[in-house]
Amino acid sequence: MFIDSTLCERCMDCRPLCPVGAIRARKKEVVIVQDECVECGTCFRYNICPNSAIKQLDEIPYPRIVRAHFSDPAMTHESIDVCGRGTEEMKTNDVTHSYTEDQIGFSVELGRPGVGTRLYELEKVVQKATSMGVDFAEDNPVYPLIIDHSTGKLRPEVLNEKVLSAIAEFTVKRSELLSFISELIPFFNNQIETVVTVSLIARCDKNGRVSVFEELERNRIAFYPNGKVNLGLANI
Amino acid sequence: MTHSQNRTGISHDSDNNEIVVLCMVHFKQKAEKAEAIKKMTDIVLSYSPDNIIGRPLGIKDEDIRELSPSFGIITAVFNDKETVVKLLSEIRENNLGISVVLSSLFANVREICHRQNLTEHTFNISLGVFGQTEKLPDDDTLSITTQCGHALVAPALVRKIIRQVKKGDLTSDDGAVLLAKPCVCGIVNHTRTKRIIEHMAGG
Ligand code: SF4
Ligand code: SF4
Repeated sequence: MFIDSTLCERCMDCRPLCPVGAIRARKKEVVIVQDECVECGTCFRYNICPNSAIKQLDEIPYPRIVRAHFSDPAMTHESIDVCGRGTEEMKTNDVTHSYTEDQIGFSVELGRPGVGTRLYELEKVVQKATSMGVDFAEDNPVYPLIIDHSTGKLRPEVLNEKVLSAIAEFTVKRSELLSFISELIPFFNNQIETVVTVSLIARCDKNGRVSVFEELERNRIAFYPNGKVNLGLANI
Repeated sequence: MTHSQNRTGISHDSDNNEIVVLCMVHFKQKAEKAEAIKKMTDIVLSYSPDNIIGRPLGIKDEDIRELSPSFGIITAVFNDKETVVKLLSEIRENNLGISVVLSSLFANVREICHRQNLTEHTFNISLGVFGQTEKLPDDDTLSITTQCGHALVAPALVRKIIRQVKKGDLTSDDGAVLLAKPCVCGIVNHTRTKRIIEHMAGG
């Protein structure tokens, strides 16, 4: 995204729209700081500019296009075999059965909410989780960025790209839930230079119950009282 | 999409009636379920959601129906359990073979399931935010910005709207419309956002 300075009348109306504060006043111009902009498209879509001075490139070159793939929900993702910001995860689990009762899904979202992240932070998380022996979700845009599945190394040319958020999704054995939480949370707190939102996916038993809640409570691990629940209606 | 499990400011004491409804076609079934998702859109719209996918972009309700097969998903927000119980009942009668996810207090979902004689299938539970949490804005601002799962509602926009409402240049109602606009999935809850704006502008 960029601002055409010949059209901009410096009203500053667009500035508060940017979730990462990339729209700034510089000397006598209003500019989008290219290194900070995550290409989320919000300033453009909001239609705020009276002179249509906010412009989108016809084609964003690689590797910068990765920013849009991870940050713009209105983006299609054909260009580098990346298919969306996250997977369908539990939302269609009644069709895919991707999560079973003996597994737990982890969703580790870097940069959310509203801080953003460089992809080198994502690499740290992928490398950490790889060293712990996890399986990564293949239909997630993070997966094609991994060039070495034995180390969790990402494509080097994308590492400095900034995105609004990037989600590492992986599954672990149900019995390993607590050990993963107790190793990963201190890692996020001490090693990651952005915010990290963590959520779990748990398949219910036939009575609609999961033992995860009790296990978290017993171990004094806080969780939100609200969350998402798939009702299993696709197969009824 | 949605990431609504990470919404903040929802507790058993406040904002406890909000229910986000998400109906999703598995991507491999998009073509075969085109008519089914249109029907689902009709049903969801007929229960007058507070907000729905596409509406913040100015897409009219009848066009949302036509676009729904390409979205592959319908997301909407409601503010009372009774409506969602009736909505679910109609969805079940139509047997559309589309996944339905509710996002709310787990206790609300349990009650709705109980009344519909359903059992939950899969949970998505948030453990919260870790790492450099000092970079986050205040809790009131977060209770607005986290309504957009893609984090497209900027804290600076919240501050601007609150300033304008305080000065009397904008109503809380119009402010809520402006704050819902960046969220393309249409899951920013207008009613709740208006209430939070009034609280922030009055405080
Ligand atoms: S595209 Fe997004 S990140 Fe870039 S300037 Fe616009 S609002 Fe900010
Ligand atoms: S809204 Fe348009 S005219 Fe105003 S500062 Fe932004 S780009 Fe310039």
